[in-house]
Amino acid sequence: MRPIPLWLKSGRVQTGLVIIFILGICAIFAPYLAPNDPNEQNLLSILTPPVWIDGGDAMFPLGTDSLGRCVLSRLIFGARVALTVAFSASIGAMIIGAFFAHVAGYFGGWVDWVIGRVVEIWLSFPPVILSLILMVGLGTGLRNVVLAIILVDWTRFCRVLRSEVIVLRQRDYVSAAQLVGFSHWRTITREILPGTLPLLITLMSLEMGVAIIVEAILSFVGMSVGSETAAWGQMIADARQNIYEAPFNLIAPIFAIFFAVFGFNILGDGLRRTLDTRLTQTERS
Amino acid sequence: MRMFATIAKLLVKRVLTAIPILLLVSALLFCILRILPVDPAAMSLPPNATVQEVEAMRTEMGLNLPLYQQYGIWLNKLFHGDIGRSIHFRQDVTSLIGSTLPATIELALIAMVVATVFGLAGGLFLFYVRGTRAEAVMDFLSILLLSLPEFLWSLFLLLIFGVFFEVLPFTGRLSPGFERPVVTGFLLLDSLITGKISTFLNALQHMILPCLALGIALSPSLMRVLRSSLLDVYQDDYIQQARLRGLSEKRILIRHGLKNAILPTLSLMGVQFGFLFGGTLLVEIIYSYPGMGNLMVDAIRNADLPIIQGAGLTYCIAVLVISIVVDSLYMILNPKLRAR
Repeated sequence: MRPIPLWLKSGRVQTGLVIIFILGICAIFAPYLAPNDPNEQNLLSILTPPVWIDGGDAMFPLGTDSLGRCVLSRLIFGARVALTVAFSASIGAMIIGAFFAHVAGYFGGWVDWVIGRVVEIWLSFPPVILSLILMVGLGTGLRNVVLAIILVDWTRFCRVLRSEVIVLRQRDYVSAAQLVGFSHWRTITREILPGTLPLLITLMSLEMGVAIIVEAILSFVGMSVGSETAAWGQMIADARQNIYEAPFNLIAPIFAIFFAVFGFNILGDGLRRTLDTRLTQTERS
Repeated sequence: MRMFATIAKLLVKRVLTAIPILLLVSALLFCILRILPVDPAAMSLPPNATVQEVEAMRTEMGLNLPLYQQYGIWLNKLFHGDIGRSIHFRQDVTSLIGSTLPATIELALIAMVVATVFGLAGGLFLFYVRGTRAEAVMDFLSILLLSLPEFLWSLFLLLIFGVFFEVLPFTGRLSPGFERPVVTGFLLLDSLITGKISTFLNALQHMILPCLALGIALSPSLMRVLRSSLLDVYQDDYIQQARLRGLSEKRILIRHGLKNAILPTLSLMGVQFGFLFGGTLLVEIIYSYPGMGNLMVDAIRNADLPIIQGAGLTYCIAVLVISIVVDSLYMILNPKLRAR
């Protein structure tokens, strides 16, 4: 079992990784892959259809938007915003969520009570509403989008991981570590964290999908990155205005978001099936 | 009778814990929105107001007081049913919310029904095909569905049924030419009360796409939970016993399987329906549906603080109410909890 990790053999994990790899290539090499400057306006050729439809222009393979900007180029550059948000927001939310989950689950008592109540307050806000309100307070920009998503979604990690920590805390090897005189910090990081890691990784993969959706929602209502940066949600908002003339402009970013979220979801599902030791054999098949 | 007593006790307890939560939420809202770089005083005055006038307005609005005092004043007014006046619309926030909230409630309620129907049907189907080759396909499909949030479903359905096939309307609540009856504020209800069946049907048509979008987006997670809890339940001895007693599979599923497996699904619904209420915001914007979501986004675009605070608080109350209702249902259906 050592040489090839079990989780890498899963078709789901492989599918997810391939999708994320493709998106990653698009994001990193965007300036070389995009046929045009994503912000260049060609006011003489606005709302041209994709190249395979009559009237399409080979210069703009997926057509142009209402300002004559190349849809394909904006799509490719949009991957940058999406992936930046996906990775940084999920890592941030994971760190905060996992920290509080471990502290709450490990120490229990009033610490657990306080953290539990804070999570409860957070959950009484619908996530979309809370992130919008935070964006009003923080102001637009990529950094603030990431911050808003972290501030909203850390509870997802905290809630799920806390109960896992409580289970692990009662294991004999944890008591043994405490008896040997390990510090709390060392017990948590050396004995408990390795046990929660599979769940943590799975949650993170799912969170990346959530972060992409939230960013798309925020940029759809114009509360994300500024208008000079291409983002998928913005493309949707723009295409919504010309839905009859250029329906394809709407389909392209919808598909991009779906493709990215699907990649992270299928990766997360694959990881859950292979890493979670408590799943029954039938569930895993 | 004992059941009612337990449920009443639960309700009282939940409502009592909801009060401090709401207080903290309102404080949080107040603080977040006070770090804003906009000046509500300057916004309420015409652009040619002098610095002195703005300063006088700031004092009048209490903006020069310390933050906790401002919060105290706001809270005191809140208890008296006054959450301020909209800077942009120049109307009381309570009346603005009062005129948009019923629309959002109607949308959310019907969407919940749609989600429940799709979720239960899909979950049963996923369970029914267990162990067959179709299972892998269905399982894959459910992940596919899980990757489409209500926001994308809305656009997708709008494109298919609204733009390509032009079979369903997709903007607003009524087609032009229909008059809006006003009795309770709930359009569907009002058109029934006043006996305007054509208005009712027209309003219903306008709600098909938004409700489908919200409901379908929510159903995959319900499907998956129902399926896995049915799988769990079928591991138990009493299913085997029922088979030995010669009960039909259908009866076993309904009387024994579903009855026990529905509980985890229900407890998930509590959380999910809360999210659904927030999800209406996007759907409302996409379908130009005149509910609280559109009000909220208008307010955000105009930095209209009183509305943002009021609507934010209303959303929280809605989530708490939904979770209390679902918890009570859970209690009614779960004999183990009831006995305690």
